[in-house]
Amino acid sequence: MHIADGFLPPNICIAGYAITGGMTWYSLRQINKQNNPREHMTKASLLAAAFFVISSIHIPLPPSSIHLVLNGLMGVLLGYYAFFAILIGLFLQAVMWNHGGLTTLGVNGALLGIPALLAYYIFQLSYRLRQPIWKQVFAFLAGAGGFGITAITFTLLIITTIPADIDAQMEKTAIYASMVGYSIQMGIEGTFTTMLVSFLQRVKPELVP
Amino acid sequence: MKLALERYANLNSPIHRWEPTSKFTALLALIFAFAFVQKLALLPPMVLVTILLYTLAKLPLSFLLSRLRYPGLFLTAAVIFLPFVAGETAIISWGIFTIKEEGCQAALLIVTRACCILTVSLVLFGTAPILSNIKAMRSLHIPDIIIDMTLLTYRYLEELGAMLKTMEQSMKLRGFNSGKLTPDYLRKIAHLSGTLFVRSYERSQRIYQAMILRGYGYATSPNYSKKTPIQLDCNSGILAATTLLVAIFFIVASLS
Repeated sequence: MHIADGFLPPNICIAGYAITGGMTWYSLRQINKQNNPREHMTKASLLAAAFFVISSIHIPLPPSSIHLVLNGLMGVLLGYYAFFAILIGLFLQAVMWNHGGLTTLGVNGALLGIPALLAYYIFQLSYRLRQPIWKQVFAFLAGAGGFGITAITFTLLIITTIPADIDAQMEKTAIYASMVGYSIQMGIEGTFTTMLVSFLQRVKPELVP
Repeated sequence: MKLALERYANLNSPIHRWEPTSKFTALLALIFAFAFVQKLALLPPMVLVTILLYTLAKLPLSFLLSRLRYPGLFLTAAVIFLPFVAGETAIISWGIFTIKEEGCQAALLIVTRACCILTVSLVLFGTAPILSNIKAMRSLHIPDIIIDMTLLTYRYLEELGAMLKTMEQSMKLRGFNSGKLTPDYLRKIAHLSGTLFVRSYERSQRIYQAMILRGYGYATSPNYSKKTPIQLDCNSGILAATTLLVAIFFIVASLS
């Protein structure tokens, strides 16, 4: 779910960089309030690499297969570092595989990073409720919600910024068609996040903040 | 994975000899200037500048074609419908299909712009080791935490990729069937990913301890936090100035 170079008009690219710049400043401020940001930095870097690798796994979804985006899960596990991890992942993908792009790095960073931070906040709500089942419920909401917000924004952005007048009916059909496809992936991302969070809580609880 | 991009990073060309920080700044400016192009008349000069830059870099054509294969597929899939659905002026009608002029122009603009940007990106990142580009980013005052994270992520990407491959192989040898999406399949993939996270986390603890032992985060001299000053030679100066002028030309021409 990356927008490639050349697709978006320059004002959107610049706006994307402005939003990403603001979010980077906000995340840095929150990180600097922590006790030992350098220690968490090492952990976040390696987990970012692991996310990058895991997102390459093909999940069969007939007639084709999908790759998981996992921005909701990144928010749950990395907190404020998730925004940086996503930016770095997008940068490396753009440079190493020409997947995404440098001019759209700001837009893509905001598209995936802001929902990741929202997913973090959603999951933090589970700490207000004592029953362990709520952890799983909020993990699902974080995983599905993080992806869902990205998917809706991505679809709207692509359809409204293509530089030619598309038939309104066609636009509506395209939005509905992509929503059907993305809602299936939303379910998969939510379920995957729930399974992974409950696995980590059993095996390595300190990994789930 | 890394070698694919850095295969021609050690050739001898004016672009390879270009000082990394000024190269990064100037070529990034050119990439953004290309993103500004909205007029069809600017496409031929844009293509010309890109060809000139690629020729100057002495990179083989096969390298460019191999790097454009994946984004090319994505681009084709994204713009193939544009001539049919966008615009009103019909050029050719064939049954229910009508090819429209505005759609064709939009597709041409998107494809040319994307190919030029991708080629310039390849010139930027294919003519120097990626580590020197990341170091160039440090001298552009990008926060240290982002640069350190980028270096660490890049350093362990390949190792974790190899680890995942080994784990997948051993799952297959134990009879794991990856053909069908079922709750059990998803649970096993989640556990596989969880194991990779645990291993990465444990490794990060050891790396952090090793970094601390080597003095990470402690200034060893008053100059520790100072950025290295950029030293431009004649070749780098001329290339940077020319590229920036070209970038300004494209921005001004696009906005006028």
